[in-house]
Amino acid sequence: MTPIILAESLTKYYGARLAVDRVSFDVRPNEVMGLLGPNGSGKSTILRILTGYLRPTSGTASVAGYDVVRHGLEARSQLGYVPEDVPLYTHMRVNEFLELMGRIRGLDSARLPAAIDAVVERLSLGRVRTLLIAKLSRGYRQRVAIAQALLGKPKLLVLDEPTNGLDPRQIIEVRELIRTLSAELSIIVSSHILTEIERVAHRAAILLDGKLLSVHTLGGQDGNTRLRVRLRTADEAAVRSHLNTVPGVSIVEAVSTLGIYVLDSVDGTASAVRALVQGGFAVEEVSVSGTGLEELFLRLTEETGP
Amino acid sequence: MKSFLPLLGKEVRALFYSPIAYIIIGVFLFLMGYSFTLTLFVNKFATLIHIFFQSAGLLFLLVPIITMRLFAEERKAGTLELLLTAPVRESHVVLAKYLASMAVVLAMIALTGAYAIVLGMFGSPDWGPIYSGYIGLALLASTLVSLGLTISALTSNQVVAAIVTIGISFLLWTIDSLAAMVPDALERILISLSLLAHFTPFATGALYTSDLGFFVSSTLLALFLAMRALARR
Repeated sequence: MTPIILAESLTKYYGARLAVDRVSFDVRPNEVMGLLGPNGSGKSTILRILTGYLRPTSGTASVAGYDVVRHGLEARSQLGYVPEDVPLYTHMRVNEFLELMGRIRGLDSARLPAAIDAVVERLSLGRVRTLLIAKLSRGYRQRVAIAQALLGKPKLLVLDEPTNGLDPRQIIEVRELIRTLSAELSIIVSSHILTEIERVAHRAAILLDGKLLSVHTLGGQDGNTRLRVRLRTADEAAVRSHLNTVPGVSIVEAVSTLGIYVLDSVDGTASAVRALVQGGFAVEEVSVSGTGLEELFLRLTEETGP
Repeated sequence: MKSFLPLLGKEVRALFYSPIAYIIIGVFLFLMGYSFTLTLFVNKFATLIHIFFQSAGLLFLLVPIITMRLFAEERKAGTLELLLTAPVRESHVVLAKYLASMAVVLAMIALTGAYAIVLGMFGSPDWGPIYSGYIGLALLASTLVSLGLTISALTSNQVVAAIVTIGISFLLWTIDSLAAMVPDALERILISLSLLAHFTPFATGALYTSDLGFFVSSTLLALFLAMRALARR
C-alpha cells in the first residue's frame, strides 16, 4: 500500500541548533498517526516540513507520492493544514474566508458553494458563518481552521496541537471529529499530551530532542481490558505479591516511583479494583488503558533523559 | 493562475477595507491640493512640475506605510504559514501583494489628475510634461512598492519594515549627490542608481528608454528578491 506520507532521514537545523535529527516514518491511507513529544521535541518542525512551509536541511519527505520540495505545489494540493496557533484572517467573515481558501485550493464557482456548505455542516458552523472571525471564540476558530483544511477533499489532514486552548467539551468534539474523518483520509496529529494521542491515533511516533525514539502501534481503540491504575504506594513487590494470589489479575508493567501500574484483568475493571482494595491498597486513579503508550513513553524518555 | 485571482482579490480587499489606505490617500490629496492651490495663486503658471516632485517626496513616506504590513503582518499573525502551505505559488503571492499595493498608490496619484483638469479648464498647459510626469510617478511608485514589499518579506516587524524602506528609498533618491566625492568609476554607478536622476526627466517632460528601463528592471529585481526572501525558510 502506497504511504500517504513517507519521511526519510528528515533533518532540520535552525542555524546551528539541530531541531529534527534524521527522522523517518510513514503514514498509511486512512491512518491516524500521532506525533507525541514534549514541547521543543521537533513535532511542529516536522509538520511544517511536510506541509512545505519549511525546507528540510537534508532528507526527503513526500505526500501522496509528491516530494514536498521538488513538487511542492502538487504535494500541498493533497493536504489540509491547521497550524498550532490557528492563524486566520480575522477581518474576514467565516463565509468569505472559506470562499477564499476554497478558491485558492482550486475549487471553481460551480463546486465551491456545495463544498463550503458541506464543511460548514460538518463542523457545525451554520450559526456563525456570517460573523467576523475576530468575534469568534477559540473553539469556533479551531473549527473554521479545520473547515478550511477540509475544502477540496485533501488526502491528508495535518493538525498541530489541535486541542490546545480548548475547553473539555471542545476537546471531545475534536477527538470525535478526528475519529470520523479517519474513515475518509489520513491524519497526522501532534500533541504533547499523551492521552490525546492515545485516544485518537492508530500509531504514535515518540519524539524527544528532535529524535524519533519509537513508532508504537496503539491497539486499544476497540475496548481493550487493560487497566492503568495509580496507587498510593511505590512498593511494587507488595502489589505483585498480593495480585499473585488473585486469579485473573496480573501486573503487566509498573512505573512504581509514580505509583502507576498496568494490569490485565480477565473479569474487567470491577474485579481488579476489588482485588486491590481488598489488599489494602489506596486506589487513586483507574482508567482503561490498553495501549501501553504512557509506560513506553516514560521508559523511552527516562532512558534518553539526563 | 487559478489561485492568483483569489489572492489578488484578498489583497485588494485587505487594503481597501482598512482605514489606512483612505487616510493615506486623504493626507496625500490634502497636502498636494494645498501645494497646488498655493503655487498656482503665487506663480500663475499652468504647470504641474512642482506637484510631481512633491508627490515623489510624499511617496517616499507614504508607500512604506502601505507596504510595511504586506508580509510582516502576515508573518506575525501566522497567516503566512496558512497561505504558503496552501497550493499557491510564491510568485503569485508576491505579485498579488504588489498589484494590490500599486492599485492604492495609482488611485492616489490618479486623483491628482483633478489638478490637470483644473489647469486645462482655466489655462492652456503644455500636456506633454503632464503626461510624462504621471508616467514617471507611476514608475517611481512601482520601484518603491516593490522595494517595500521585499523589505516586508524579510521581517515580522512592521515598523522595522517601514523605517528600513524609507531609509533605503531616500538613499537611492539622493545617492547621486555622493557622486562628486567618489572615484570616476563609482561615480557613474552612483548616478545610474539615483531615483532622482531617473525621475527628473519624466517630471520635466523628457522620456528616455534608459529611465523607463531603470524603473522596470529595479521593480523586477525587487520582486525577484521578495520571492527569494519568501522562499528562504
